[in-house]
Order: sequence, then structure tokens, then C-alpha cells
Amino acid sequence: MPLIQLTDVEKIYPLGNQQVVALSEFSLSIDKGEFTVLAGPSGSGKTTVLNLIGGIDQPTRGRIEIEGRDVGRRSTRALADFRLRHIGFIFQSYNLIPVLTAAENAEFTLMLQGMTKPARRARIRDLFADLGIGGLENRKPRDLSGGQQQRVAVARAMASHPAVILADEPTANLDSQTAEGLLDLMHRLNRQHHTTFIFSSHDPLVISRARRIVRLRDGRLEDDRVQQP
Amino acid sequence: MDILTLAWKNLWRNRRRSFITLTALSLSLMLMQGFHNLAVGSYARMIDSGVRAGSGHIALYRGDYNRSRDEALTYAAADLPKQLSAVTEVEHVLPRVYLPGLAQSSRESRGILLTGIAPADEAAVNPFLRQLEAGSLLNSSEGRGALLGSRLASELKLSVGNKLVITVQNRRGDLISELFRIRGIVHTGLRDVDGSLVMVGLKKAASMGGFPGEIHELALILNRAANVSEVMPKLTALMRHSAVHAVAWDVAMPNLSNSIKLDYASQKVIFAIMLLIVTIGIVNTMLMSVMERVREFGIILAVGASPGRLFQMILAEGLVMGILSVVTGSLLGSLLTWYLVDHGIDLRRIMPQSIEFGGVIFDPVLRAIWDLPWMAKISLYLLGLALAATIYPAIKAARLAPAEAMRHV
Repeated sequence: MPLIQLTDVEKIYPLGNQQVVALSEFSLSIDKGEFTVLAGPSGSGKTTVLNLIGGIDQPTRGRIEIEGRDVGRRSTRALADFRLRHIGFIFQSYNLIPVLTAAENAEFTLMLQGMTKPARRARIRDLFADLGIGGLENRKPRDLSGGQQQRVAVARAMASHPAVILADEPTANLDSQTAEGLLDLMHRLNRQHHTTFIFSSHDPLVISRARRIVRLRDGRLEDDRVQQP
Repeated sequence: MDILTLAWKNLWRNRRRSFITLTALSLSLMLMQGFHNLAVGSYARMIDSGVRAGSGHIALYRGDYNRSRDEALTYAAADLPKQLSAVTEVEHVLPRVYLPGLAQSSRESRGILLTGIAPADEAAVNPFLRQLEAGSLLNSSEGRGALLGSRLASELKLSVGNKLVITVQNRRGDLISELFRIRGIVHTGLRDVDGSLVMVGLKKAASMGGFPGEIHELALILNRAANVSEVMPKLTALMRHSAVHAVAWDVAMPNLSNSIKLDYASQKVIFAIMLLIVTIGIVNTMLMSVMERVREFGIILAVGASPGRLFQMILAEGLVMGILSVVTGSLLGSLLTWYLVDHGIDLRRIMPQSIEFGGVIFDPVLRAIWDLPWMAKISLYLLGLALAATIYPAIKAARLAPAEAMRHV
């Protein structure tokens, strides 16, 4: 059974009096431990696919299953709990909470899970060391570089050991060297923890580093292939 | 980091805005606590002065004397004062006789209210007797000495040592005249009282009225810690076989009671307006804070916070703001009260003449007293208000759809 299964998914957004079809007849299955990139131009539906898999948006039609459970048929509260325990998000513009320190940002999902402060701190300390940002725990996001902020965002996504990490254009705001470093890191985490990574990107660097490339155009699947390392 | 730490950090996201809101809340609480305590202090002094000169905290009357003022409604005091003095809360028992009459000097005559008092008991309590303008106090319950109100003495063109004739109607309907000598003149500041007050010995007044050994009123002065509503049942039980019944000061002196109620009602309206303005301020602050963070809330929801959890987070910000305001406001309110208890507000410069309020003289030096239960109550009320004002912004945040919120710029 695949980890993620999208079957004939359609997503239509209302825009004034019109309706915009963001995704149409889209089917995709992803197995545990994959390192997949959703590639395609802006407006092709990459972010929509990530949002639907992550349960932060609902499909207009079709079925989305994760670990055999239908994500689209859950209550708001059940979806929030599902995201908290199974999904990690990494965003293009880091989206760290500015009033919190790097460690507090990273442990945010652990706090939501009700983990005690000492346990949270212990896990974050190890994670920060592993991600090469040890010593930056007490810095506010404004005192960190773009690369460091994105690593804190990765730490936040990884903190609760999710089954899937969804990264929406994670390297878009990074220079190529930092982006390369981040991709190395994600590859390592993928290998070490068997965490499934799904990216959306139109960055050739990211696409070249993915093991599977799913191309979208105008909300439809254009191409789906596995590339050799 | 827990939900309250997060709320604390979020509160200081926009320092200036939060500071202004906190200042408004704290100052409102300070003013409400300070001015409530000042009002309660002023009312307490007025009540104290009113009950000591008037009917006491509790008065004992026969029938409906307190309404009808029918001179026939007398009763034998007998050993009642002794029994009442045994009640722990009762500090003083003052028997009194009231007779309307006529005072005549060699040149003028005026209508008066002849008040028979027990001189020794009354001297320790009655504030009128502390306003002695000339002469000395009464020294006998049976003698022919009299104390006159200052305006009456002036209108009758009398001074200390002069004689006057007082005429009253006794119980049988006969006119009884007696000669008195003025021992002292009192200036109460109350125009009506100064124009009609004649105090003589209790026994002398009762004998003129034709009811020796009987009185119209027993005024009870309670000790400071006592509460009228707690003492009333005791007295009612004590009087259950008697024609005499107990009346609380606010019933016996409706003018004073109603004036205080009216004054405090207007103050409550001002407090309500202040609280309304404060509430609008909190709603505005919280709503702006929420609207600025729509995208961030989208992220928080996306990473796994439930709408209920987000609602709690925003509510916690209101709670933190409320607690901070209550602590600061109560501290400032206590400082203001302390000043108003210790120094008060002296109105004598702007109010040189004494003012009558509800039948008593309004003390121009206003002093507060500590009303701690009310201070706690209004603090909790403000805290509740801060929370209530946060509910709408919190609901607004909790209803955000994460994907849509994350697209918000």
C-alpha cells in the first residue's frame, strides 16, 4: 500500500464570479521514504497538491489517502491532529514566528503535542546539532541568515518525527550554495530517518537532486519519472 | 514555552500599542478604585454624622412614628436602654423626645422643634453638640437649661444667659409654657436645624409633653465593625413582644439614603462609560493584532494547531493583558487610595461655605476608606472584560482556513 494516494483529485477555487481549476483529474501515489519533487511553472498546481496532501485544503472532488486513511473526509480538528502528528511543513519564506527564539520555533509542534519542556529542549538540542545550527537556539529569526532560518524551519518540521515532510519551494529564497547545503541535509534526513520528502519547485538544482520528478502543467499531471542518482 | 509565555511574547510584538492599551486599562482601574473608595469614605462620614445627629444606625419607634411624627406615639423606655446596651454591637443608646412648639423671647417668637436629650449620653456622640458656638452643654436632664440653634438665637435676638419661653401642647391638648435659660448656642451648618433646634433635658421635655418616663425614639449607635443588617434580626427578636420596632437608618432617614444612592448611581454611570471605552480599546488592540497576523495564524494552523488551540492562544493574550492591567491598576489604585485616606481632597479653597447633602453637612475634606472587597470585585470584572473583549478576535482567528490564511499578504 502506498503511503500517499491521490485518486482523480480536482480542486476548484472560486475567484469572484468565476471558478479557477487548480487541479484536474490528478492521480498520484507516493511510497514511504521517497524523495519527490513536484515540478512545473507557477500556477501549475504544485502548492495545491502539497496543501491537499497536508490536509490544509480540501479537494473539490476525488480521494486523498495517507497510510490508508481518507484525509478529505476528516473534521477540522481531526485534520489538525493529523497534521500535527504525521506531516511536517517547510515553507518558501521560512515562516518562523518572529517573537519566538529559534529553539521555541522548532519546538512549537512539540508544545502543541503536550511534550514537557525538558523533553522538548533535549530533542531540539540534538536536532539543532544535527542540522548544523547548534548554538543558535536562543537567537530570534531576525538575527539569523536565510539559510539558518530555513534550517530552523526544517527542525520545526522534523521535530515530531513526521511520516511526510512537505516543502513548498524551500530553496526559492536561498543562494545556490545554501540551497545545495539544505538539499544535502534533506537527503541525509531522508536516508537516516526514512522520512518521505515531497517538494514543490521549479528550481533546476532541486529538480536535479530529486529521485522522482512529477511534472504538472495547468493543474494536470504532465510527466512522472524516476531519475537515476 | 507554554501558551502564556507565547501570549506574553505576542503582547509585546507591538510595544507602543500594547503599552497604550495597558495604560488605559490600568489608569481606568486606578481611577475607579480610587474614586469609589473616596465616595464610600465620604458616604461613610455622611452616614456617621447623619446617624449620630439623627436617628442612629438603628432607631426604635412605636407604631409608624418615623413616618407620621405623631407625638402620641411614645413608649416607656424603662430598662430597654440597659437591655440594648448589652447587645455587643451597640455602642450608645440615646433616648429622645421630639415636640413641636413655639419659642418666644421678649422681642420675637419662632416655631421650633423641642428635642429632649440625655445630656451625658448625647455629649459623647451627637456632632451637633461639638459645634458649640457659645456657652456650654446641658448638664441636667430635668433642669431649665436649653441649647439653641445659631439662626434661631439670632432671630430671637438672644444670647447665652438670656431667657426664653417655650410653649408646647401636652398629651391632653393643653398648652404648656416653661421658662428656660440659654446655656449654649450651636451652629450645625444646616439652615433648617439652626433655625429650629432647641435641646433641653429629656425628663423636662417628657414632663412638658405630659408623658413622664416615656420617649419617642431610642437611637442606637453601633460600633464601627458592626453591620446594620446583621444587628437588625437580633433587635427584632428582642422586641418581638413589644409595640416598639427597629428601623434601620436608611429607612428612618430616607433623604440621606436616597441622596447617597443617587450620587453613587451617577458615579456608576461614569464607571460604566469608562469600562465601555476600555472594552472598545481592548477589542481594537486585539483585533488589530489578529488582523496583522493572519498569515502567521495560517502557518500555526498548518503545522498542527487546532482552531480551538488557536482560540486559546489569542484568549491567553487577553488574559495576560488583563492580569497585567489588574496588577498595575490595583497597585496604582491602592497608591491613590492610600493618598486619599491619608491626605484626602480638601475642597475648602474652592468651596468656602459648608454644603448640605441629604440633610447632613458635607465634609469639605473628602477622605477615602479601603473597600477591599469592591477593589477585588472590580479587578475581576476588568479581567473578565479583557477576556470577553478578546473572544471576538479569537473566534475570527480560529475560523481562518489555513491555506487561505497563508496566502494572505
